[in-house]
Amino acid sequence: MFRTRFLLGAGAAAAALALAGCSVGGESDDASDGPTELTFWHGYTEADGDVLEQIVDEFNASQDEVVISTEIKTWAVIDDTLLPALSAGDGPDIVAMPAERLPVYAARGAFASLDDFYADPDSNTANLNPGAVEMETVEGSRYGVPTGFVPLAVYYNKALFEAAGISEPPATWDEWVTTAKSLTVDGNGDGTPEQYGVVLPDHATVANGLWPSLFYGNDGDIVEGGDTAVIDSPENAETLEFWRSAIVDDKISPTGVDGIGADEVFSSGKAAMTVGGPWMVFIAGDNGIDYGIAPIPAGPEAQAASAIGVSMAITAQDDVAKQEAAEQFFAYFLNDENSVAWSLGSGWPPLRTDIPADAVSENATVAALTEQAELGRPLLPGVVNSVDVLTAVDELTQKVIAGGDIEALLAEAQTAIQTALDD
Amino acid sequence: MSTQNHIVRRYRPAAPLGGRRVAPASRQRSITALAFLAPALIILAAFVAWPALSALRLSFTDASGFGKEEFVGFGNYVEVFTQPDILNAVVNTVWYTVLFTPTAVLVALGLALLLNNPHLPFRSFFRTALFLPFIVSLAVGAFAWSYLIDPQIGLLNYWLNGLGVRIGNVLQDPVLAMPMVALVAVWKNFGFYFVIFLAGLQDIPASLYEAARVDGAGPWSRFRNVTVPLLSNTFAFVVIFAMIAALQAFDQIYVMTGGGPYGSTQTVVMEIYESGFRKLELGFASALSYVLLIATLLLSAAQFVFFGRREKDLS
Repeated sequence: MFRTRFLLGAGAAAAALALAGCSVGGESDDASDGPTELTFWHGYTEADGDVLEQIVDEFNASQDEVVISTEIKTWAVIDDTLLPALSAGDGPDIVAMPAERLPVYAARGAFASLDDFYADPDSNTANLNPGAVEMETVEGSRYGVPTGFVPLAVYYNKALFEAAGISEPPATWDEWVTTAKSLTVDGNGDGTPEQYGVVLPDHATVANGLWPSLFYGNDGDIVEGGDTAVIDSPENAETLEFWRSAIVDDKISPTGVDGIGADEVFSSGKAAMTVGGPWMVFIAGDNGIDYGIAPIPAGPEAQAASAIGVSMAITAQDDVAKQEAAEQFFAYFLNDENSVAWSLGSGWPPLRTDIPADAVSENATVAALTEQAELGRPLLPGVVNSVDVLTAVDELTQKVIAGGDIEALLAEAQTAIQTALDD
Repeated sequence: MSTQNHIVRRYRPAAPLGGRRVAPASRQRSITALAFLAPALIILAAFVAWPALSALRLSFTDASGFGKEEFVGFGNYVEVFTQPDILNAVVNTVWYTVLFTPTAVLVALGLALLLNNPHLPFRSFFRTALFLPFIVSLAVGAFAWSYLIDPQIGLLNYWLNGLGVRIGNVLQDPVLAMPMVALVAVWKNFGFYFVIFLAGLQDIPASLYEAARVDGAGPWSRFRNVTVPLLSNTFAFVVIFAMIAALQAFDQIYVMTGGGPYGSTQTVVMEIYESGFRKLELGFASALSYVLLIATLLLSAAQFVFFGRREKDLS
């Protein structure tokens, strides 16, 4: 019996602690002679990955001081892999990650400040989309360079639109609901539509941006100035009331869906519209859906969309030589030629506002998204504890759709978000 | 013959402890034993003991995994016991354990009793089939289950709808989500407990059943008076094992609900993951891990005492 006890004890200890056992590592190696070698982790795996590899190869060939080797880590795991790697002092020199994850790393000293780089006129950063740069800014300093910034947009199923005799995507909230209603079909009358007009998830929405986008439409917001919760506003209460009525009473959307579920509902042809990012183009294409792209319809007060951002940063483990080498690559990545190549290859709008629209007109998706680029607003810029803030928003929207009291839930969310910001 | 003599000489029974003459041989045996244990001990030291000690150290710091860290005393532990989120996670974990442990153990026991019957046709097939889920990764199984019960595209939902049964969006229902993730864990794990029970049942000598039968004991009486007492060690082992597994619930919850809807499936290990890997609060996550470890040890110890006493009562 003692042996069993010992084994059980050891097993429990191993399992419980494997989750927590990490430690601080040493310094990176000093630069030696020869070119500076950098590793670059990113999660671009589709056509965008090929273009990025090409840009890196060309950069390596263009000079003989810096050699960059890339390593692909999917977006889903890049975060989980980065932390142990940094702990072991064995992290990448450059890492790309979803922009809303940058502040928590930056605030804890994982990344090198890029303020001097931004100040350098040769860095090609002067005309970056200000919203994108805002997502790189933490406590007044910039820690990353955007590799992607695109507003969420409405993707619609042209075949379903035609079948219902609708020719134009909706431009305002009211039109959005009316259009969605006429696209919602409950053929057998059992109260559960077989086809929905739109799919609006109530939690874990695409890039967490659906509800923020709706809040913006009625002049509401979640956090102001990076440190003040403003979610409990009459504007947001109206927004929630409006959409709850459309989703629950008019049944224009299935309820209880998350962002990934929304992609599935749309790609299986069970919803005529969805809100998503540029990858919807691939998802729709794979499923044989002829799609159109339209901006998120204007709310009563404003037309705006939460943007999806991707950033790349230089890890603080790097010495000066490596940091300068990485900055050299960033400037190269953002030059005129590569800005266009990257935009066309990745399917995302150009990051620099001085790239003329006709430079990317050969790709219809990019052209459509570029027209909408100015609607994009950064999500929770500079908020370090975005995890808890987004959890509070998810909890709010889920409970509202489930029929909860909007005023009380907004007050609850306000407290939770302010606590997270003060933490 | 000489080989046999050699073996006999070498492996003669150890002399009573304290005998001066045999002490060197005993020491040599210890060294041999240690040498054989060394590979396992080294692995345990490197991958269990050292991380465990590092985590203990981290739990008294504000470490984020990299960069500077400062000593914060018992600050993290105080936070563990005062944060409302943690209390919610503890309540959820207890609820999950209550749902999972008895169900998994009873399902496994029932099936083991059923399949221990030597006259059952296709016995090996059933035994293999029941064990199969255990060899599937829980994360993979959880993905499969998520798709099966998806209200829009789920096959299971589609079939049930055909039968007029509506289960709705189980994973988005704050009441049903936890039983659902517990059910997936039961599906995945009962095969393992089942095999242990089966081994336990086969260890019970057939002669005891025969003797009982001769004494006029019916099936229930044989179960009550032969199977139950002789299976009690196995039972205790399985219960404790299942409970430890339940306290560490993570994989399928991470995959299926991410802790939602609104925190209703957020367990302690989910909380550890979130603090450590999402918020980069490794010190706090380590402290929470230690609290979970100590709670697990205490609960296991309590069960040993309980089952030990029962065993004494029965014998």
